[in-house]
Amino acid sequence: MSATDPRVAGSIHPGGISFHATTPTGPTRREGQPMSRTAPSTEDPLALAFAPLHKLGMGLGVGTAAALAVFVLTAVPLLRNEAPQLDIGLLGAYFSGYEVSWRGAFIGAAWAGFSGFVLGWFFAFSRNALLAIRLVVWRARADYMATRDFMDHI
Amino acid sequence: MDQLTQEETQELRRVTLRLSAQAWGVSFGLLLGLGLFVATIVLVAKGGPNVGQHLGLLAEYFPGYRVTVVGAFIGFVYAFVVGYALGRIIGLVYNTVAELRP
Repeated sequence: MSATDPRVAGSIHPGGISFHATTPTGPTRREGQPMSRTAPSTEDPLALAFAPLHKLGMGLGVGTAAALAVFVLTAVPLLRNEAPQLDIGLLGAYFSGYEVSWRGAFIGAAWAGFSGFVLGWFFAFSRNALLAIRLVVWRARADYMATRDFMDHI
Repeated sequence: MDQLTQEETQELRRVTLRLSAQAWGVSFGLLLGLGLFVATIVLVAKGGPNVGQHLGLLAEYFPGYRVTVVGAFIGFVYAFVVGYALGRIIGLVYNTVAELRP
């Protein structure tokens, strides 16, 4: 979906950016009509409820936050120019090459960024997978409910 | 029930969830803030000869923080601010990437 797509309009608000279709493919939905008569507006709460998380975006977001956190965590005692009481150098047990120095701050940030990316990506992947499984189950249940009285009509 | 058209299905597939950076900030802030608050209060309630020997080292990053009841509130504020910033960063980067590569 791009901003130049004439079928889609976007709006920017403090909470983010949202899009909605501008050219419905059928008449406006009325009570009792099937939903598919209306274009699936992405502002539709039902559509948004099942919208997947962006895995790359979540990975980069968490990675960036983690990298910044480790960098600042290391930089604070360095800027004070005193030995840290909290031995954050122990992070080196997990982040190879990490130490409380400016070089170590960048190495730690890189490691934290990588770890955060993996965590964020996997979080989004898991959430999307669970949602997809639930959708399949709900759909199967709905299909079953729709056909359970089949024998009554014979 | 009628099926969605191919165009409608593709449009729905292109939609990815946008995050509210502010909501993520508040959520992360509360998570970190309440986490530190509870951790501090638990240590204070347990008592002992050297209360919060290790948790108190956070004062290096949070000036004024102590493992006391008052320190728990001070720590909550600090941790909330840090968590809020981290949550905003996650939301900001996520929305930017999701917009650039839908």
